[in-house]
Amino acid sequence: MKQIILSGRQIVVPSPPKNGLVYMSERTRERVFKKLTKAVDLGDDELAAEGANEALAAGILPYDAIIHGLAEGMKLVGDKYERKEYFLPDMLLSADAMYAGLNILTPHIPKDASRSKGKIILGVVEGDVHDIGKNIVKVMLTASGYEVIDLGRDVPTPEFIEKAKSEGAQVIAMSTLMTPTLMSMQDVEQSLDKEGMKGKVRTIIGGGSVSEEWRERIGSDAYGKDATEAVSKIKTLIDTIIATAESMKEEDGSS
Amino acid sequence: MASSYDRFMAVLDGRPGDADRIPCVNTTSVATLEFMNAYDAHWPAAHHDPEKMAKLGSAAHRLCGLDNVSVPFCMTVEAEVFGSVIDFHEDSVRWPSIREFQITEPSELEIPEDVAEAGRVHVVVQAIRLLKEEFGGVVPVNAYLAPPFTSISSYLVDSISFLKWLRRSPETVHEFCRVTLDTYVEIAKLYEEAGADVITLHEMGASTNIISPTHFDEFVKPYLSEITRQVKTPTVLNICGSTVTILESMMDCGVSAIAVDERTPIRDARRLVDGKQPGYPIIGNIPAYDVIHAGPVERIGEAVDSAVKDGVDMVAPGCDFWLETSTDNVKAFVDAVVKHAKT
Repeated sequence: MKQIILSGRQIVVPSPPKNGLVYMSERTRERVFKKLTKAVDLGDDELAAEGANEALAAGILPYDAIIHGLAEGMKLVGDKYERKEYFLPDMLLSADAMYAGLNILTPHIPKDASRSKGKIILGVVEGDVHDIGKNIVKVMLTASGYEVIDLGRDVPTPEFIEKAKSEGAQVIAMSTLMTPTLMSMQDVEQSLDKEGMKGKVRTIIGGGSVSEEWRERIGSDAYGKDATEAVSKIKTLIDTIIATAESMKEEDGSS
Repeated sequence: MASSYDRFMAVLDGRPGDADRIPCVNTTSVATLEFMNAYDAHWPAAHHDPEKMAKLGSAAHRLCGLDNVSVPFCMTVEAEVFGSVIDFHEDSVRWPSIREFQITEPSELEIPEDVAEAGRVHVVVQAIRLLKEEFGGVVPVNAYLAPPFTSISSYLVDSISFLKWLRRSPETVHEFCRVTLDTYVEIAKLYEEAGADVITLHEMGASTNIISPTHFDEFVKPYLSEITRQVKTPTVLNICGSTVTILESMMDCGVSAIAVDERTPIRDARRLVDGKQPGYPIIGNIPAYDVIHAGPVERIGEAVDSAVKDGVDMVAPGCDFWLETSTDNVKAFVDAVVKHAKT
């Protein structure tokens, strides 16, 4: 029997509130979403926790609260960062607020909906300890339903490779802020090549000193200029992998 | 023909007209792998041995004609003085880095009684002496240091916590800077006494890619100003990253010149700087990787020409030389400046 894999969007059927009588107005949803967005924007972790608890109490789906509340806030913060209204300290506090909300909401995501859409190995390459951008990418990936194995910062090359193998990850995502450590990204690409994993595990790079030219030079699969772009490109990479796997299965079946 | 020293100092003194041509300098790290090989001055030894440090710091001048010599080759000298444990990577050539951030509050800092004997300060001091002996009055001797904000936020304390304190606990940030300030001043003065002709404050953690202009004025400017107030030698403030919105604040720090990288467009910088003090020296901003390392020669030439045309007073890479840069490319970089001056 052919296994059907739904790529891309997950279809989540919300279970109705137990008493079947709770009436959740659109206005309540909007108010809670706005509070979560504002909490992330202001970098206020207490307000984010309050908003997350309100979302649960009102019967709002945790996934919706994350996407329409917290992630929306992060997008807003990202835009302000881009426009130079916000700077790294603001991003860090916003990320904290986002985590405060996520920690409350994530355990309440129904099993089905929390089934991972894909597995990503994430880390700041060896020699660099600047992991702010990486943390933001992690938050956004988690909120979008991906399983993220976070290796932290100053990650030695072999660790990326070994983890990708042992976890069966589809994507390795690397970042670096500094220029001297760009070479570590090349090391990872070369090791993947040596291990015959290139093409099987896709790579994406990002960070302050990284560019599209650098991606081309070292042969990574994608470059994300910011967190939002990184997440959308990772989604594309994983969708492609799933589509390829499906077509291979079909070929197997017909032979 | 005027010496490198004459043309460099003419620009720093605000008399660029007295220079026979525009200088080609690098006030940050001048180390490359080929230079290490050429003078048997490899890392990590060259971080600890004054003779090797002096050799490596002058290689770009000797082999390529760069208009200055420069030491040390890392941003960790100051952090080490305060108790950071540095990893020098004994088995491979890599930038020294911090093994683990152990300091979480100002009271945990080790403030050295005798700065001259703390960490590797004496190595840098001795290297400056050697360079001064050999090049004094002919080639300017630059010594760079990581000033309080960058040193503490990137090499002494976990950056994440530190940056959050800018909003959550500004007093902690000030306390860190206050209790360490005298030591930074002392290090700069030791370099000055040893014979440094120019002290570069390499504040790479304070660009607007990281903190806001408001935070620059609150947490960076006062401490840099105090260092420049106490140091008599000319000073350069080098900030890689975007600086367009803080250029005027950088000038307020009391430095003799500012140095920027490719993320600060020179045309904008020239206009803003001239608006405050016409002719104030700007150093920059040839990309160290994309142009000087990557080449080819023609591209290096074009980049130099446009930087000069846009208004730099000294041509320099935006930051440290990329370690893998070939000697040929550094030579092409200097040659491009010399050639530009002739046209």
